[in-house]
Amino acid sequence: MALPVAKYSAPDGVDESFVPIPDDPRYLTTEGRTTGPSDHVLNAGQIDRDKPSEPKGAHDGTQMTYLGQLRTQLTGLQDDINEFLTERMELAKNKKKKADADEKRIQEEINQLLDGGDAEEDAD
Amino acid sequence: MKSQREMPLDHTLELKIPFETEKQASIATRVLSPDPILKPQDFQADYSSENNVVLAQFRSIDDRVLRVGVSSVIDSIKTIIETMDELS
Repeated sequence: MALPVAKYSAPDGVDESFVPIPDDPRYLTTEGRTTGPSDHVLNAGQIDRDKPSEPKGAHDGTQMTYLGQLRTQLTGLQDDINEFLTERMELAKNKKKKADADEKRIQEEINQLLDGGDAEEDAD
Repeated sequence: MKSQREMPLDHTLELKIPFETEKQASIATRVLSPDPILKPQDFQADYSSENNVVLAQFRSIDDRVLRVGVSSVIDSIKTIIETMDELS
């Protein structure tokens, strides 16, 4: 069967393609790593009532249906995209933090220079 | 400084989903299309189908909004696939 695919592009020149690997267990389950309640919530006793059903054909030992396979591959692809974008978000956050710190430092330096200028004027 | 409203939708993701039949792809496209986008100035989604493949194109102002929007649409597509599978 043909595989679901995704292609990402950003203005900073980053391009990324996502393709599931059919035999990899990551793409053979309907339970995504980045979807559903977190482990913290589950460990606190929450019952996941929105848990996705198993792919059709998987539970009775027969081969998964085409749509069952498509759903498992899409789940893995969704995880890949979510993880990639989360990583990109972290990078953007760190970049912004650095830019804010630089801006603050420059502003402080300007203020110091201006204060220094005032002090000299005062001395005169 | 640019306001949020003026930000370009230059973070994009294109998703291609091969259904089993052309009819399934057409149904999935029609099911997805009516969903309104809550903040169209931040996120846009376009759906089309060609033969048995659904093409979803997403555009967003940043990676955070793109992640939320794309993951939500994929959840919907998985539900559509599951429903088709159960009813077939």
